[in-house]
Formats: sequence, structure tokens, C-alpha cells
Amino acid sequence: MSGQSLSRRHFLKTSGMVGGGIVVAVALPGCAFNGPHPIEVTDAGFIPNAFLQIAPDNKITFYCPSDEMGQGIRTGLATIIGEELDVDPANMLVQAAGSHEDYNNPEFRVQGTGGSNAVRVFYQPLRQVGADTRALLLNAAALDLGIPSEQLLTDDGFIVAGDRRYPYGDFVDTASSLEMPVATSLKAPSNFQYIGADAPRVDALAKATGTASFGIDTDLPGMVYAVVVRPPVAGSKALKFDDSAARIAPGVLDIVAVSSGIAVVAERYWQAYQAAKKITVDWEKRPLSSVTSTQVRQDLSAALEANDDTESSHVGDPEKAFAEADRILETDYYAPFLAHAPMEPLNATLRITENGADLWTGVQFVGAAQGVLERLTGLPRGDIKIHNQFLGGGFGRRATLSHIVEVAEIAMSIDKPVQLLWSREDDLRHGFYRPAAMMKIKAAANNEGRITAWQARRSGANITAQTMKNALPGVLPSLPTGLLNGLVGAMDYVFDNWAVDASSVEGLHETYSLPSYRVSHASVDHGLPTTFWRSVGHSYTSFAVESMMDELAEARQIDPVALRLKNLEDKPRMKNVVAQAGRLMAAMTVPENHHLGFAAHSSFGTDVAQIAQVSVTDGNIRVHKVTCVVDCGLAVNPDIVRAQLEGAVMFALTATLYGQIDLDDGAVVQSNFHNYPILRMNESPAVDVVIINSQTPPTGIGEPGVPPLAPAVANAVYRATGQRLRDLPLKLA
Amino acid sequence: MITFSLNGDSVSFKGDPNTPLLWVIRDDFKLKGSKFGCGAGLCGACTMHLDGAAIKTCVLPVAAAANKKVTTIEGLGNPEALHPLQAAWVKHNVPQCGYCQSGQIMAAAALIADKPDASSDDIDQAMSGNICRCGCYPRIKAAIASVAGNSQSYDATAVEATS
Ligand code: FES
Ligand code: FES
Repeated sequence: MSGQSLSRRHFLKTSGMVGGGIVVAVALPGCAFNGPHPIEVTDAGFIPNAFLQIAPDNKITFYCPSDEMGQGIRTGLATIIGEELDVDPANMLVQAAGSHEDYNNPEFRVQGTGGSNAVRVFYQPLRQVGADTRALLLNAAALDLGIPSEQLLTDDGFIVAGDRRYPYGDFVDTASSLEMPVATSLKAPSNFQYIGADAPRVDALAKATGTASFGIDTDLPGMVYAVVVRPPVAGSKALKFDDSAARIAPGVLDIVAVSSGIAVVAERYWQAYQAAKKITVDWEKRPLSSVTSTQVRQDLSAALEANDDTESSHVGDPEKAFAEADRILETDYYAPFLAHAPMEPLNATLRITENGADLWTGVQFVGAAQGVLERLTGLPRGDIKIHNQFLGGGFGRRATLSHIVEVAEIAMSIDKPVQLLWSREDDLRHGFYRPAAMMKIKAAANNEGRITAWQARRSGANITAQTMKNALPGVLPSLPTGLLNGLVGAMDYVFDNWAVDASSVEGLHETYSLPSYRVSHASVDHGLPTTFWRSVGHSYTSFAVESMMDELAEARQIDPVALRLKNLEDKPRMKNVVAQAGRLMAAMTVPENHHLGFAAHSSFGTDVAQIAQVSVTDGNIRVHKVTCVVDCGLAVNPDIVRAQLEGAVMFALTATLYGQIDLDDGAVVQSNFHNYPILRMNESPAVDVVIINSQTPPTGIGEPGVPPLAPAVANAVYRATGQRLRDLPLKLA
Repeated sequence: MITFSLNGDSVSFKGDPNTPLLWVIRDDFKLKGSKFGCGAGLCGACTMHLDGAAIKTCVLPVAAAANKKVTTIEGLGNPEALHPLQAAWVKHNVPQCGYCQSGQIMAAAALIADKPDASSDDIDQAMSGNICRCGCYPRIKAAIASVAGNSQSYDATAVEATS
């Protein structure tokens, strides 16, 4: 969708009075949906489109279509729209948008946040919305002031006429009677004053004072609390259960069976949590019930040995090139299941009345949450409102809907607003996981370091198939259940027999210019739910590819950075990133027992190279410093780009050193932070970030800092110890 | 009935004395700034001050707070009157998702009250009980160090004054 068309969709067609100000409804030509106005109008104010509200007192509100989960998107998108509207983002009120298709992610076609795409896909459209709205205000001011609009300027929410300044709010009455200009020309990047400059996050103050509201902070009159007793093995159903002790526990109001387990509803969370422990359940056995982590690894290896994987892509004739190679390396790399463990455990608060349903939660997939409630409650979509709060971390976990389904089932069986809260144990044991991956890389490089043949094969569960099975009920709310079940059932078939899931193999060849390669996949699914985990397939493929690059360099006695540069002929942007990082690395002086490791990876349109400075003492790997070089196009807020890379390094280092979800008899072994440790401050490295100065449109930044870290550390550990570690998490022999 | 001081006000709680202080503060007294992260004393999201000391309240029975002074993030400072650490948090653009930050700031405030000149190692030690899944550690550390380095102009009693 082009920026222009998005902007045009939001032109005002009708207007009416609300409160003391003017509201202009959004027209949705060609859209079947006729929901209420997407903005809850509590204040008087002019609403020229779904994204902006300008009040007579010049309070300017931006309704942010993407979900804030720490990545800084409220600040980023406010900067983008503010640049063209000519309002400093610091002077805007930035709020989460309601649930409405006007806020659909232009690429997903549903309201949602993920894939590091928000700045990229909203960059042009929101600039256009800002520019058109500014032009409208200029036209209104020209009429009201009797001055031709060409003689008027704007500055941070004011119309400037000579030495007089008039707040935008002065002109909203007139503006509401005018046609919205279209396709107003945008600023030249050289005229940007907010885009490209470091600026404070718009949510920093609220988050430093405990006043930012997360889903868990929702408190409704008469609200009760629910916890769910879930099966040890994903997906198994309760055969029978005894809740007699729980029913008489203090505060317990009701106990109801839901599709995922047994829900306990009480006056207080703590009462529900205590009572839940008194319930005994016989759970059915499932195929997953006998699976162990050891078996998963064996099955993934066996699938690659069996050689019946499905091709994903190829270029040239790698078999011929291998036949002509004088030296071939072939190596297996393994990455385990991982949990997201966002800091805020999953929760959702739902109130159903005769007028509709209101959901307070934190989801990355507002459109699908609305859809799943439409399906489960039978209410018209327009009567279902999602009040998305700040997300206490997402990382992909909040793109799933299991907590929304649960709270709906509970709320429908009791007649009160209910807050469902997961414990940390629930979160780690009943998640959707980053799937385990076995990767076999076969590669040949000539004695100059040019790769001549490349074969990359991955076995494991399909990420997209599982994610879609979870999301489809919400994405297609009006599809009849029979058809839906058929479609859900088809997902495995499609990805086992017909198509390779692109997410599961992404990153196995794309970073480099390879004259011949073949990428293929063998689906092995043990039934543990899986989904997107920050950087998705790249989170493991980069480990295999970038470890192999160092192995090739060693085999050919070539400097690892030089070898990479030899294989980036038609990737100028990454070539520059690697070259810059290589120069930094060459200039580094480190203590004698510290060692440097290098890795680079392209993902989500962004190129990142990292240098890890590592020491190994008594078998303990310590990462002291990570230097990142990134090209993400124009950095809308460079300080947030730096913060995302700092955070990505910590997130990835947790996975590199500790991250491991194990199965025993199909049940997840890890249960809390004592056995699923997260990196702590005293283990955390310093992070330096170099942002390549670029004027090209912005690309992703939430995820691309994750993939290179594990191989950069593994490559440093090899230099420190001579041990080539090919399994994650890294453990020295 | 358990009586204690909550951000300077005397309050009492009539429910189960084994209820963790965190849930009493959040669900009965409706102060939502302190967070639940693990329920097992492992992450620090629930950190408050009990008579000035940083305590993980998800594992502290409310009975243990009887006749003591409880300070939450709401009592440390507010948007109109920031604690120096809160100001430093904003200046360093520390928060990402923000969920851990109340606990981080409460742990840091107890450290700074105790050791106004806290060294880098002191900071690492004092903060090692607080997890940030978003990985804001470099900025948390810089923010605390900026306050510790400014101990001359920073009035350490400000922390205690509200607790
Ligand atoms: S919630 Fe109290 S330490 Fe984690
Ligand atoms: S800011 Fe997200 S957990 Fe710390």
C-alpha cells in the first residue's frame, strides 16, 4: 500500500459535533467494516484522520497504530508523523490506538506489530498523513487570518505569520469544514528537524515513575481474578479432576473447565493462585508425552541423515561445484527450544456486557485478538474493543492468542469482569517456543576465500505453520468452524509436503553472494507449540552460517573478515558494514587473555556486524564488550537504535550462554529464573554501537541485533580455547 | 489486622497475613507501580523499601511489614517531583518495555541511600537481583553512576525522607 493511498483512505467525509469541538469521522470507502469511530473521543478536538486529534487548546494527540513493547515505536512513529505535521514528538500526547482496521499494519493487512517492520511500513504513510494535515491547517489559517497560505509557516504546533504565532488549535473549526489536501509534497530529508536526531522516549517518564499502565495493572470495579491449572504436556486434556478442596478455599468463587485446563476464579489473585494448587487432575497422554530433549535432537539429526528434505531455494549447480572443489567442510550446528520470558507474565482482563466486550491486555496482534473474541463471544466486531496497554516485553510471545482465548472462555462462564494472570511457571512451561533446529552446512571455498559451493539444510518444527494455527481463528473470525478446522489441519500438510516455511530457513544463505547454493528443509514436529522468537529463523541460522564462515577462513588460513569481504561482491551495504567493523576490530587492543570474535548477518532489511570481546576462565565464558556496526537506513531516532542493539545483545547473550528449554516426558523442565536464567547486570557486557550514516528509507531494528551475537561469541571462544562449539548454549568441554 | 506505613500513610490490612506484600499493595491498596515478574524472589520486579531496605515483596508475607515503613515507586517520586534516579532514568532514556524499571529504581535508590558514592562494582552487586529482559543494563548502570558521581549535589536524605 502506498503512503498516498493510506492517507487518502482517511479523508474526512462527514463531520459532526462532539463535546465542544469538532470530530470528523473516518471514511472507509470500499471497506465492509462499519465499526464505531476508532478513537474514543473523550476530549473535544478535531480528528482529521485516525491518527491525529487536535484540540482547541492545542493539545495534539497521536494514536499510535503499533504496539509499544519496548522497541520505542511510540516515539519512532510520533517522530515520523510529527516531522511532517511540524510538531515536536515531545509535545504530543502519544496513545495506543484503539482496535480498528484503519490501524492495520500495511504489510500484514491486520492490526499487529512484529517482523521489525513498523518504522519501515509506516514511514511513508504517516509522513503523508502528517503533511496533508499540516497543509489543511495552513489552508484554514489562511482563511481565518486573511493571509495567503504561501506566506504562512509552521513551527512546533504553531502557524507562524511574520512575528506572530497562532496555535494549530485556533484553526480546527475552520479546518473541519475544508477538504483535506491530498498527496502534499513531503519534506526533503535535508530539512528534517526531528527525524534523525536523538530525542527522549515519549514513554520514559511514565516508565521511570511506575505510572505507565500495563495489562496487568488493569483494575475494574467488581473485577475477579483467574488462574488456570494447565497440563504438564502441551495440548493434553483433563480426563477428570477433583476440585473439592479448592472450592472451599478462601475467596474462591468458581472453578470452570476451559479448553486449556481448569480455571480457578477468586476474589483476589493470591487466593486463586493458592486454591489452584489444591486441584488434582488426570491428564490424557499424547504423542508428545514420551518425548525428551535427547530424542528431539536425535530425531532432528536422523531427518537430515535420511536425506529427504524439501528444497527451499537454489542458485547454480552446487553439486557440480562441490565435485570440483578441492576442500569441503561439512558440519552440524544445533540450537535448542527457547522461551521468550517477557518480564510481564501474560494476562488479560475482559468485561462482557450486553453492550459488547472490552479487553485490556498487551498483544502484538490487536486485530487477531479482536477477531478471536468475535469468534468466541459471537458479538459483532464493532462491539469488541481492545484497550491495548504497554506490553511488558513481547519478543513474539505476545503475538499469540492463548491468553485471550482463555480469558474469553472464563468470562463467558462467570458474570463478572475477570483478570486472568499467568505465573512465571505458566509462562515458561506452557509457552510457544523458538523451535529447536539442527543445521547441516556443507561449504567449499577456494584458496582465495571465495565460496564456490554452499549447501544448508535445516530440520525441526515449522515456525509459520504452528503460528498460523494459533492465529487463524482470530484472523478469520467469520470462517465457519468446520472450514477453520480444515484450514488449521492443512497447515502441517502444506509445510510438510508442499512448501518450505520461509521463516524456518531464513538466513541460511542471504547474507552473502554465493555463486551456487541449495537450501532445504526437513520438517520434524514433536507437537510442542512454537512461534516467532525475536529474529525468528535468523536466531539460529546465523549461528550456523557465521560459525561456518570462520571455519572456512581457518581452513584456508585467511582472516575471517577478509573472507567475508570476498563473498559480499553484490551486497554493497553489508560489505561496507563488514569493512567498517573489520577496521574497528583491527584497531582494537585488548588485554592478553581477551579474544575477539566476529560475525555479521542481514535480517529484516538491516545489516549488522558484531565484534565480541571474550575471556574464558575456568570454563566460564565472559563477554566483556560487544561492538556493533549497523546499517538500518535512516535512523529515525539514533538513540533508540542504539538501545535496541544494546538490548538485542543482552537478549542474545542470554540465549548464547544459558538459553535452553528441555523436555522430559513431553513436559518442559524449566520453570522459573533459577533454571531458565536471564543475563544479569553483573554479567552484562559494555555495548558500543556505530550507526552507518544513511539517507535511504529506514529498515528493521528490533530484531537484527540478535542473530550475529551467538556466532561472534562462539568465534571468540574458539580463539580463546581452540574449542569449536557448535551447540547452543555454548558449553566448554 | 496488620498495620503499616505505606508511603507515609498509616494503612491496615485484614486479610490472610501470609499474603505476599506485593499483592496487598497492588490488589488491595491499588498501587500498580510495583510489578509481578516471577513470584519467587528471583527477578526484583516487585522491589519495595521496607524501613529503607530494598526487599522483594512477592515472597514477603504482609505480616512481616507490620508496624514498618513500606515505600513503593509511587512514594519515591512522581512525575512532578522526581527522585534524582528517576530524573537520571529519563535523561539516559533507560526504559524499554519499562516493566522491570520500578523494581530497578527501588533497588538503586536503596543502594544510593546507603552508598551515595557507589562504585561500579557496588552497582553491579546491588543490582544483580533485578532482571531486565529488555537488556537495559548499560543505561541503568550509567543512570545510577551519574547520580552516584553527583553525590555532592545529590541529597541522599531525599530517599529516606519519603520512606
Ligand atoms: S516478582 Fe518478586 S522477585 Fe520476581
Ligand atoms: S525494560 Fe523491559 S524488562 Fe526491563
